[in-house]
This record gives sequence, structure tokens and C-alpha cells, in this order.
Amino acid sequence: MSRSTRGARGMLFLAVGMALSCLVSTRANAVPAFSRKYQTSCQTCHSIFPKLNPFGTAFRLNGYHLPGETEEQVKQKPVSLGADAYARMWPEMVYPSSLPGNVPFALNVKMASLYASSHDDTGKTIVHNDFQFPQEANLFAAGTLGNSFSFLSEVTYAENPDGSSSVEIEHARLDLISAFGLEHLFNFRIGKLAPNLYDGFQEMWLMTDNGVDTLFTYNPIGFNGGTGLADSGGGVSLPARTRAIEMYGVAAHRLFYTVGVSSPIGPGGSNGQFNNGGGKDFYARVDYKLGGLGLDGDSTGVTLPPENWRETSFRLGAFGYWGNGGDVEYAITDPDGNPFRMQQGRFSRAGVFGSLYFGDLNLIGVAVHGSDDLSLRDNDTDAEISLTTHTWDAWFAQADYVITPVFQVSARYENLRPADPSVETQRALNANFSFLVRANIKLMLEYHRDLHDSQNYQLATVLRAAF
Amino acid sequence: MNRPLVLALALVTGAALPLAAGDLHGKVTCKGVRDSGDAVVYVAAIAGKTFPAPKEHAKIDQMNLVFSPHVLPILVGTTVDFLNSDAVLHNVFSPDSCADKFNLGTWPKGQIKSYQFKKECVSATLLCKVHPEMEAFVVAVPTPYFAVTKPDGSFKIADVPDGAYTVKVWHPKLKATQKAVTVAGSSAADFEIAK
Repeated sequence: MSRSTRGARGMLFLAVGMALSCLVSTRANAVPAFSRKYQTSCQTCHSIFPKLNPFGTAFRLNGYHLPGETEEQVKQKPVSLGADAYARMWPEMVYPSSLPGNVPFALNVKMASLYASSHDDTGKTIVHNDFQFPQEANLFAAGTLGNSFSFLSEVTYAENPDGSSSVEIEHARLDLISAFGLEHLFNFRIGKLAPNLYDGFQEMWLMTDNGVDTLFTYNPIGFNGGTGLADSGGGVSLPARTRAIEMYGVAAHRLFYTVGVSSPIGPGGSNGQFNNGGGKDFYARVDYKLGGLGLDGDSTGVTLPPENWRETSFRLGAFGYWGNGGDVEYAITDPDGNPFRMQQGRFSRAGVFGSLYFGDLNLIGVAVHGSDDLSLRDNDTDAEISLTTHTWDAWFAQADYVITPVFQVSARYENLRPADPSVETQRALNANFSFLVRANIKLMLEYHRDLHDSQNYQLATVLRAAF
Repeated sequence: MNRPLVLALALVTGAALPLAAGDLHGKVTCKGVRDSGDAVVYVAAIAGKTFPAPKEHAKIDQMNLVFSPHVLPILVGTTVDFLNSDAVLHNVFSPDSCADKFNLGTWPKGQIKSYQFKKECVSATLLCKVHPEMEAFVVAVPTPYFAVTKPDGSFKIADVPDGAYTVKVWHPKLKATQKAVTVAGSSAADFEIAK
């Protein structure tokens, strides 16, 4: 492969990333339904939405109940669907439940002005300067159904740069909280969800506008292994959202675990398309938090500052995702342009996660090692020609800093070593300046750049409101 | 007539006069619930003392799909009348053994069904099978000295004879508590309860 071709592929890395951010930018945000329920500010749970502070993380892991929640903290009195005494009469009588006091809807709107520069396959610089007003609107429904169940759903309406639009159910899930009477230890979630596998670094929990594409949109399919990010129809790196049954819990306030079984992801990868093949994918994570607020909100023996985004803590863990992408075939070509088919067979992802809070600074780092069995097949007969294993590595480090609650900044470095040995390592920088205009209105200036080519960049001005 | 004089006269006349009585008042602070109402404060059983059940019936209304009052303390032996004031059928039953797990069936607007609480029962949950969200409590206690707290937690039990008692507090959602209280005229006692 020529140097120019490798360079073009590197440029394609960022160009595709930009295209993804323009075309399929779908993410969860703050959920003001909870502000209404508790009559409290967004900043109770978010350092800057959608990023959760330690208390917000505990609230989320508690199934949208405040740690040690008492009745008077819930300002919107729920609608009883049965007196508490019916719990004693189950199963002769229906177990009591409740509904949120008001319709638990919330809306997020995102306006973006995108200035993007990229190279096409011929090396020509292409510039886009696009007012995406709106880029997307997210309708949330979230709340609790009695003490044991909670729910979250999100429908996103996105307008694409070409004027077309799309609607997607990003989340629709039901949670069972503190099952078997063991508080925090056994919780179950079912539905379309962002796995707790990514707690702290999936896009819905990051303060930046861009997600971490090197982890979630890498395409492992290629004649000699994956070469970079997927645009559409790619194979699986890590699915940002899955249709899954998941169990998670917090033990001894600080040990977090999750295990899940999910539908395989098909073409479209992290964009949420699913493969109805016979198998299932599996994932697991375990981590431990030292210092700071407990993951269940426990503050015993901990002195915390009144600034609720601050603490001194370190969370370290490991995670893995295992699946089989078989039954889905991708059309590829060899370097000479000859057509082949390829299946992604068994694949595995193993990663480590770390998050350090130190005063106003939060450092987040994740590294993932991927391994994919790729079955190369004859384009006419579908006979397997070869079965090879390809590996890749991706990692990122991000620093979020609270200058004041109003002004916050973030910088992220991303690194991807694709499986194809002829493709050079791809590196990107993402820098963000956020201005919290109001507790529920945020203005961001975000710069994303290919570190190989100064002409591959995107500058986004984003206004987001949650109400 | 002042209290020392009454007491002296009682002693001189062989206690022919009734014992002096005052009131027991105070505040119950309820932690973890919206307000401090609906707690029942009552004097526990007094050794050697029994109290006849009143002939008058107590009443609980069912109106607008709500039991009213939500909490009703009574003296053991009291009969409670359950009135349906709604245009829909209502039912009253209790899953509690101390109320014999009674079930009064269903009845229409304007009619009353009754149940006598023959045993001490702290508490009997009242439910309506037709409307599962409806809930109320009857608290059948062994003395006629009881009160229900107002939303601010205040209570007043009138005509409590002077003496030393165990005073108990019960709440539908919070842990019960008790403490020794000496009543001498107008006396005060405060409580705090939580989950």
C-alpha cells in the first residue's frame, strides 16, 4: 500500500468520524422529569449535563431513587396503584405499585453549527458549514413505578444535513431494583439500553458533544482486518446500545459489577441495528471505587465538600464483551479490487477503565483490546477461503475540569491501532469548552481534529436545552 | 378550687372525689414522611384498669374514593360504622388477624356496615377491594386516652388522670415508640419517630 493511500485512510478516519457526528449523532441527555419529581436542580445530579456527578451516578445506579430516599423528598406525590398493605397479601392480591405524579416526559433540543473540513479520496479539501437547527430532539420518559421498578425511554428525532430525518427509539427499558430484598446488590434491566458496561464513558455520560468513536465505531471488517471507523454497515467494535437483559449491583458500597446477555449487533454497529442470528452476545464488568461517595450514595466515614462535583476518588475496573458476528456477510474487496465476502465470526473485547477525581479535575481513561475471527469467503460460492484472527487496540484519555460550575473544559486524546497492519495508527484530539448558560441550557464550543492532518477537523458550536 | 386542695380533700375524705385530670399534649416529629400527621398517641394498658366500650359508634366515611378519616383510634370494643358516600360500590376488609380478617362485602351509596373491634389491634389496615389504592387504619387501644396528631405533629389528649403511664406512639409508615410519662395536670411529652 502506498504512503498516499495510507494517508488517505488516515484522513478517512476523521472524515468518517465527522460524518458520523453529523449524520447519526444521537445521544441521551439530562432528564428533567427527575427535576420535576424532586423539585431540584439539574446540578444535583449533573456536573454539566449529561455528565453525572458522583451523586447522580448513585441516583442512576439506585434505579432513579435518591440514596436513602424518604417520602418527603419526593415532591410530586405519586399516584397509588394499590395500598402498601397489599404487599402482604401477594399473590392473592396484586402487589402495590405507583405511577409518577405527573406525566414523566422531558424534552431535550440540540442546535448545532458545524464547520467541518475533511479530505475526500482524491485529497481534495471539502468544507461544510452547516446550521443544524435543530440537529435533534429527544423525548424522554423516565421515572419509578413503586419502590422496585423504574423505567427510561428515549425517542430521538434527528434532522440530517440533507434535510432528511430519522426517528429512533434509543432507549426503552424497565429496571427491577434491589431484587430479593438485597439493597443495591441485585438489579435487573431489560430492554434497549446503554449497557452499564460503559458506565462513565459511553456518550450519554460524557460532557463532550462527540462520543469516543475509536471505541464504539471502529469497523473490524477488512480484507486484512479493519482499517478504521465505520460509516454505515460496518461490523461490531463495541455496541453503544444493545437489546439486553442485564444484571448489575453494588456490593459494600464500592464494588460494582454488571453482567449481561444481548442480541448480536448487525450491520450498522453502534447505531443500533441488530442481528437476529441464533447466538447471543455476553458482557461483564467489575470495578472498585476508592474514596469519595459510595457508588450507592453511601457517605459513611467520608468527608465531602459542598461542591458536589468534587471529590477525591479513584475507580478502576475491567470489562469484556464477547460475541459472534456470524450469519452477516459484508461485501469487501482485496487491494486489487476483487470482490469477496466476509463474516465476522467470534470476537472479543477486553478493556480496562479508570476514573480519577481530584478536586475540580476528573481524568477518565479506557483501553480496549479487540480480537476478531474473520472468515473470508468466495464471492460466488460463499465457500470459506480462510479464517484468520485479527487484533486491534484503542484507547483514550480525557480530562474534564470545572473552572467554575458555569465554565467547564474537557480535552480528550484518542488512539486507534486498526487490525490491518498496513494502516497507520490513528490519533485524534477532542477539545471542549462548555458554558452553562442556565442550569438547563448549555453552550459548547468543541474542536475535533485528526492529529495526522491539520485540515481534517471539525468545529462545532452546540446549544442544548433540557426542559 | 386549686389542685393541692383537691388532692388534700381527696386524701381526707378517703378519695371519694374523682382523681384530678389534666391533659397530655405535645408533638410527634415524624422523620421521612411528608408531614407529622396521622400518628396515634395513646396511653397503654393501665394495670388493674379496664374501660367499658362506648355505646356510640365511631364512623369512617368512604367519599371520593378515600377513607375518611385515614387513621381512627378507638377504645377496644368500639363498633365502627363504615358509610359509603360515593355513587360507586365500596368494600371494606382487613387482612389483619387482630381484626379477624373481616370482610364486610360491598354496599352502595348511603348504606352503612359495621364491625366491632373486640380485641386490642394496633393496627387494623382497612382496604377496599374495589379500589385498591384506598387505605385506612383503625387503631384499637386499651384506654380511652388517645389522639391523632395534626400535620404539624401536635396532639392533645384530654382528661387524662394524674399518674404515671406508658405512652405509645404508632404511625402507619414509621416505627412505633413508647416512653414513660407522668401526668400531673397539664403535661407535655414529645416524641420522634422514623423508619
